[in-house]
Amino acid sequence: MANHRFSSVSEEEKPCCGISRKAQICLCVLFVLLIVVGIAVSVGILMWRQPPKHKEWKGPGTTAHFYEILLGRCYTYTQVVRPELRHTDCQKIGKAFTSAFLSKDPCGSTEQDYRPLMELTTQTVPCDKTLFWSKSSELAHDYTWVQRDMYTLEDTLLGYMADGLKWCGDSGSSEMNYQSCPHWREDCSNNSVSVFWNTVSKRFAEDACGVVHVVLNGSISNTFDEKSTFGRVEVFNLHPEKVHTLKAWVMHNIESVPSDSCSSSSLNNLKQILKTKNIIFVCQNNYRPVRLLQCVKNPEHSSCR
Amino acid sequence: MAALGLASSLPLLLLVIAGAGGAGGARWRGEGTTRHLQSIILGRCAEHVALLHPEQGEKNCTAIWEAFKVVLDKDPCSVFPSDYDLFINLSRHSIPTDKSLFWENNHLLVTSYAENARRFVPVCSVLYGRMGDFLSWCRQENASGLDYQSCPTSEDCENNPVDSFWKRASMQYSRDSSGVIYVMLNGSEPTGAYPVKGFFADFEIPYFQKDKITRIEIWVMHEIGRPKVESCGEGSVKILEERLKEMGFQYSCINDHLPVKLLKCVDHSTHPDCALKSAAASIQREVPPLWSEYGGSLITPFLVALASAIQM
Repeated sequence: MANHRFSSVSEEEKPCCGISRKAQICLCVLFVLLIVVGIAVSVGILMWRQPPKHKEWKGPGTTAHFYEILLGRCYTYTQVVRPELRHTDCQKIGKAFTSAFLSKDPCGSTEQDYRPLMELTTQTVPCDKTLFWSKSSELAHDYTWVQRDMYTLEDTLLGYMADGLKWCGDSGSSEMNYQSCPHWREDCSNNSVSVFWNTVSKRFAEDACGVVHVVLNGSISNTFDEKSTFGRVEVFNLHPEKVHTLKAWVMHNIESVPSDSCSSSSLNNLKQILKTKNIIFVCQNNYRPVRLLQCVKNPEHSSCR
Repeated sequence: MAALGLASSLPLLLLVIAGAGGAGGARWRGEGTTRHLQSIILGRCAEHVALLHPEQGEKNCTAIWEAFKVVLDKDPCSVFPSDYDLFINLSRHSIPTDKSLFWENNHLLVTSYAENARRFVPVCSVLYGRMGDFLSWCRQENASGLDYQSCPTSEDCENNPVDSFWKRASMQYSRDSSGVIYVMLNGSEPTGAYPVKGFFADFEIPYFQKDKITRIEIWVMHEIGRPKVESCGEGSVKILEERLKEMGFQYSCINDHLPVKLLKCVDHSTHPDCALKSAAASIQREVPPLWSEYGGSLITPFLVALASAIQM
């Protein structure tokens, strides 16, 4: 190549290494092309080797050992808790559950995604035994643990299986995302977990009959919250031809000053909504059996002696 | 005549045969192996480790299951507590001090009161106890493979898989307990609140670690509305108290420990034994559905009568 610098003497092209200028250009182009292709192939291999990264969300990821826990709970429920359901096919149910969210956009979840799962699990609660709850999870579940003939959603098969778990997939992968999952408020509300609970809550309400009950928290300002799952989904989906009465047990913290939440505007709102559905509303402050449960934690309190 | 006699005694004969073999011709007196045992045990292990107690560190649930399942290959009357040694060693973890709750004859009450290890940690909230809780398992008597019809109880043979499991679990639970020890007994149990031969007597008390225990508190609970067979200082409870005294433990005994009694009252809220002084006050403040239900039916005819009297 040093020759080139001193070759300006003649106009004519001086051939290098015995090949023409045209051939040199072709070789250069070919050389460059080879380098580009080589880089592209290497990058391609590296990318293929590395698992496609999941999207990053603001909420906690899928619960560790999600599938084992899910399946184990299905079997515990159908063999031990409610043995009348012992012929349930938990393998099928597990597969239907994961198919609802794997390889899908976790912010684009729909009720349809859970349809196959819903069709496999048709458990109805006896009339007068449905117990809803809102901002009173611990108390409601402690109650049904003792009063075993009443059911919260989490005492039915699907609720029992999914309670407390988190899950999501990714449209670019067939794996569960254990790193993060969409946060309801900060990412999207149509996420796999929220849509699941909306779907099962809707059916739980649709299947209810007779007198239904709800444990509400009288120690917060929004005792009946229209935006809660109870307000938005459950009350909304009660069937007036099946449900004739809703009884609310409004519980106050033991330490707080007694008040009549039943006459509050929040509960009056609930009463009006039920009126338009022709459902009778009965309200009770501090229903005794549930009050006794609160007393277990505070036995020395004056209202517990 | 003879044919008739045979025909009439045949059902009786069948009953006798059925009775001899147990319910429906089963070999043993106890419930058969729980179906899908492996999935249930692995699921419970995963749930405990990943969800409920991540602070206890990683446990290898697969290895724990492998250690458990060796008993499923053994003769159902030749399974000893020591057969569970590896299983226990892989799954044991520390128990918070002052949180141990021992019991006899009130499984469900203990589970409710313990509130899934938030209030107390009974043996069924410890990893190894959680895995076996409410389950049953055994190999067939003369073949490999699990027996789903029935499994032996202590009346069939002493060294059966389930009893040996709970003996071994009880021993470990006892050894790992510290601080104040709580014991819940059933004072309405006709055979006595403290079974002199039982898991607590034979596999827990002997394994108490004297140097780690501060004192022992006994609660003798009675069923609401049922006779009080025994109370503190009486019958078998007295035997227990004396045994603990002899062993050098500081102990106390309480009849119907209030928080537990309140829990029992949840499904007996109208029973006089569950009446709270504040109950009278709260009834006056309640929205009066009672009045509209019962009072209304009395008041209306009265008002009608009064009205007609006034008119006349």
